[in-house]
Order: sequence, then structure tokens, then C-alpha cells
Amino acid sequence: MLFAGAAPPAAYTEKISGTLVEFEMIPVPAGSIEIADLTRDGAKVRVAIKPFYLGKTEVTWDEYDVFNLKLDLNEAESRAAIQMKTRPSKPYGAPDYGFGHAGYAAMSISFFAAERYCEWLARKTGKKYRLPTEAEWEYSARAGMTGTPDRALLDKLAWHWDNADDATHRIAKKQPNAWGLFDTLGNVREWAVGLDQQPIACGGSYTDEPKDVHPSARFKPTPEWNKRDPQEPKGKWWLSDGPFMGFRMARDAG
Amino acid sequence: MDNSSRRDFLKSSSVATGSALFGALGTNYAFAEGSDKIKVGVIGCGGRGTGAIRNVLDSAPNVQIVAMGDMFQQRLDNANGTLAAKNPGGVVPADRCFIGFDAYKKVLASDVNYVILATPPGFRPMQFKAAIEAGKNVFTEKPIAVDAPGVRLFLEANEMAIKRGLAVTCGLQRHHQQEYVDTIKRIHDGAIGQVTSMSVYWNQGHLWVNEREPGWSDMEYQLRNWYYFVWLCGDHIVEQHVHNVDVANWVLGAHPIRAYGMGGRQVRTAPKFGHIYDHFTVEYEYANGARVLSMCRQIDGTASRVAEFAIGTKGTAIPSGTIKVGEQTTFRAIKGNDPYVQEHSDNILGIRAGKPLNEGKFVAESTLSVIMGRESAYTGQIIEWEDMLNSKKDYAPAKLSMDAVLPVPEVAMPGTTKFF
Repeated sequence: MLFAGAAPPAAYTEKISGTLVEFEMIPVPAGSIEIADLTRDGAKVRVAIKPFYLGKTEVTWDEYDVFNLKLDLNEAESRAAIQMKTRPSKPYGAPDYGFGHAGYAAMSISFFAAERYCEWLARKTGKKYRLPTEAEWEYSARAGMTGTPDRALLDKLAWHWDNADDATHRIAKKQPNAWGLFDTLGNVREWAVGLDQQPIACGGSYTDEPKDVHPSARFKPTPEWNKRDPQEPKGKWWLSDGPFMGFRMARDAG
Repeated sequence: MDNSSRRDFLKSSSVATGSALFGALGTNYAFAEGSDKIKVGVIGCGGRGTGAIRNVLDSAPNVQIVAMGDMFQQRLDNANGTLAAKNPGGVVPADRCFIGFDAYKKVLASDVNYVILATPPGFRPMQFKAAIEAGKNVFTEKPIAVDAPGVRLFLEANEMAIKRGLAVTCGLQRHHQQEYVDTIKRIHDGAIGQVTSMSVYWNQGHLWVNEREPGWSDMEYQLRNWYYFVWLCGDHIVEQHVHNVDVANWVLGAHPIRAYGMGGRQVRTAPKFGHIYDHFTVEYEYANGARVLSMCRQIDGTASRVAEFAIGTKGTAIPSGTIKVGEQTTFRAIKGNDPYVQEHSDNILGIRAGKPLNEGKFVAESTLSVIMGRESAYTGQIIEWEDMLNSKKDYAPAKLSMDAVLPVPEVAMPGTTKFF
């Protein structure tokens, strides 16, 4: 892995206006990374990374609820949002599975919903928030690490099948990686935009065995992740069988 | 099969093949096979009814949707949109799509041999009875009624279904979800000793709401916004939480003998939310002394939980897949099948094997259990099972017509609202 270019600007805290909700963004230095191209049988491809910011933690319910529950809208605006379907539909059951809410990673989130959230946040803040690319995601998750973390290190970094007791955990309770990012591995898998511009889930989750929780871990979304939505048409916003899906914010630097 | 009597249906089916397949009912979809076409009539084509269309078409070969009924054309059009690609016969032609309060009768009068009942629950008892009288196999959504007179009507018709060899399965899909089936079997085999206590929950945020539009009559408004009117929905403890209380009944192998409940309408108070409550807590007591704590809530921004827990004399269990004895996890179920498909696979397999399933009793008991919890909370009184079963309280309006004047009932007030 190469490091090149000047370090990007400093970390900052973003406040969602009209609420008490805030989250932190961490600068990620420019560089490049060699990742497996899943569309070409895993052939290695080197991708240049421009400096950017990445969320210090996964997007929490505190953040997502402002969007989801329309906490930033008045009654008339809420009504319009329901009509225009610009905010998440009502989920079937409890998308947080009762694991915890305040301070916990938003989960059961579809790629569609994650993208709409980014667009909303971008309008709200005037900053171009987006999902990370697959290469950006792995580059950040590695933070200079090569290979796969051994079990002892993994347990320090990540909530996985063998240590999570079948649930997500409050964010940032594990050790951050070398660049100060929490829970990139484990807890919830995170949405990224793949090399082929298609949705890809990265990093593994509390439902994945330790061997499947590492910076190169990828999961291609399947209809199974929304199998048990009993309604027709199925909801676009929530994954009835994808409790392991969350995401974090990215944004260009400079 | 034009004459859809059960006997003719069986005569033309290969019973021997069906039996062998029935025995092979496995951990994943057991695709029901057989040469007899399952001709499905769908009564109620909202989101769930249309979802059930998708599920039944995925459940077995040789299944076709041949007739549909709803109150609204738009619902039929939406359902037909789903069917266009999936249904062996494509869309259901207009002369087999029926609208109005008597649409179910027209569906039942057609050549269907398998009926999906997916209207709001208030219509269920009457439609179920008519389906059984018409000699149809039934998949009924849950709950099967909103009050005791409805439950009694359903049970009476269910007896007829058993006598006539008609299949009756229900939308309590956990009974067809492998994790639950595998775990509860172990509980019944003694894995955690005798179950003495359970807690069951359906706590979540608000649901959809359809606000009144100009030109809608009282009836149209209440039908389109049915969740918030007890005569149609039963309140959320009945419509939704029935799943979890049903798990308690299933684990304990019994229905409760009394309910001690409370609840209220604290946050969701705007007129568009009709007159239902937004939270309930009920303690159910069983004949063997077991007690079940039940909670349900639909309030945005509150901690959610949809789950069941069981405590036994030797261990604990989460019926959705985990058994623990002391600190040791002794069983963890493998997540697998789609229960919404499986419930139709199993039903059709039973029909084709000449061994029709009957889930009428437990769905009726689970429904009455939550009605008992609701009535206890509404009145503030302890309600006994026998009193509940014999209750005369009938929530249905006097007249079912689109121009009916239907004032929104008062919100139930514990200590004042009477049980009868």
C-alpha cells in the first residue's frame, strides 16, 4: 500500500441542523490499494484513492431517525414526504431487532435507503455526503494493515458471530483501527459502491463467523435479504432479512 | 375441476404420490407436487393479500390465481400487476375480478378450490364460514376475528371444515418457520423442563395511516384506514401481537384462562388514528399456573422488540431459535425457509396428500387470547376465558354499505368501559 500526497484536512463534527444529533468525520489520506475485482473472478486491481472523509462510526439510529421518522419536518411537510415517498416507509416489525437504539448502528437498511439518506444529508448540510466506494472502504478499513487480522486482533476490533452474542453492540466500544475508525469490521456490514458501480456489502457483521470478518470481506446483496417481507410490492427501504446491513458516511476532501 | 367439492378434487388426485411427498416435508420448502391444479381465489388484495399471491405461486407447482375480490378497483389492478409475470394464466380477467361487500361471494361461487382470506380481520368470520359452506380449502390470514361472536362463528365453521375434510391453515406463519418449529419441538421434548413463565413482545413504531380524503363516506374512510377501527382491525394487540401470544400458547400447549391487562392511547391521539390504543401490557395466566407477560406498542421513537422468551424449570429458550441450560447454549436453530411460502406449501401438500391440515383451533384460540387481553385493558377488569368466549360484545356496524354513517367510537376508558 502506498501513501502519497498531503494529509487531508482535520477531523470535524457534523451537526444535523434543528436537532441535537451530531457525528464525526475522519480524514483519510490519499493513496492507493490493490483489491479483488469480484466482477473479474477476483483479479487484483489497483485503485488510486483521493483524500476523503469517512464517518468515524457507522451511521447510528440517532442520525437515521431524523431522516426515517421525519423529525426535521413539520406536519404538512411530513404528509408531503409520505405522499412523495421521499422518506422510508414503515418497516414490518422492528428493524433494530430490539438490540438497542440510541448509540447503536442503524441496521436492516437497504442500499436504496442508504443512498436516499446520503442525498438527504447532503441537502441538509450543503456537503456532498455519499457512500464510500468499495476501494475507499477497504483502504480505510485496512488503515495500513495488510492481510487478515488474527483472531486476537479481530476480537479487539470487531463484533462477530463468536463474540457478539447474536446482537449488534453500541458503536465505538471496540478498539478503533489505526486511523481512528470504529467498527469497520463486524457489528454491521457496510454498504459501498462496488467497482462495477453496483451495491456491495463490506466487512462482515455480528452474524458472520470470524473468518468472514476482515477488510476484504464482501457480500453481494441477494433477494434473500428481503425474503420475509410479507407485503407486495416488497418494501424498498428495509431489508426484512438483512439485520446485518448498515453503512457509514463518506465525503470528498478538497 | 369445475365442481369444486372436496370429494371430486380428491378423486382426481394421486393420493399415493401425495402421501409419500407429505412424509418428505423437509426443513426447506417442500414443494407440493401433484397434478391437480390449485385454483386460487384471493379475497382481499391489499399489500398482504398480494404478498400472499406471490407466496402461493412460489409454494408449489400447478397453482394459478383464477379469481379475486376486493372493495377497490385499484387493489385488483395492483394485484394483477404482480400476477402478469408470475401467474400461469397471466392476469385475472375482468369478469373474474369482483368488487364490493359481496365480492367474496362471487369469488366463492367460481371454480376456485383454494381461497386466501386477506381482508381486514373484521370480515373474516363471515367470509370463512361462506368459504367452508362453499366447500373450499382455506388459507386465512390472522387474526380470524375481532370479537367473541366472530370467534364463535369461525369455530363453528371450522368444525364443518373438519367434517368435510377441507384444509384450513392460517397466517400465523411462525408455525411454518423452521427455527420456531425446531426450537419449540425441543421445548416440548423437555429441553428446558416445564415452562413456568414467558414474556412476549411486539413493540415497534407507528404503522401506515391513510388520511381521509374529500368525498369519502364514513365507510370508505374506515375501510381505507382500517387499522384504526376496532370493528375492522381488532386493535394492534389483536391484529399484530397475536403472533407472539400465539407462540406462548404454542409453547405452553394451552390457551390462557384469564387476562389482567392495561393500556392506553397516549401519543397516537390524532383523529386519523381512529380510536385504537397505542400500547398494551397484559398478564396471561394458564391452567397449569404458568404466567405470560405480554407487551405491545406502536409508538415512534421508542425501544422496539418483537420477540418471545421462555423460562423453564431447567433452562431458558428463545422460541425463535435458541435454547440455554445454565450458561450453555444447547441448541441454536438454523435460519432457513420463508414461512410465508412454506405455509402454502404445507397446506397444498396436505390437500394433495388427502391429509388436509387444520389450524383453525389454534388460530381461533390465539385470536381469542388477544381479544381477551384487549378487553381486559379496555375495561380495566380481569377477564376469564369462559366469559370472553361467551361475550356478546359485537363490534360490527349494523349495516355494511358504502353510504353507512359510521361515527368513530369513543376511545375505551378503563374503569368506565363495560365488558359484556
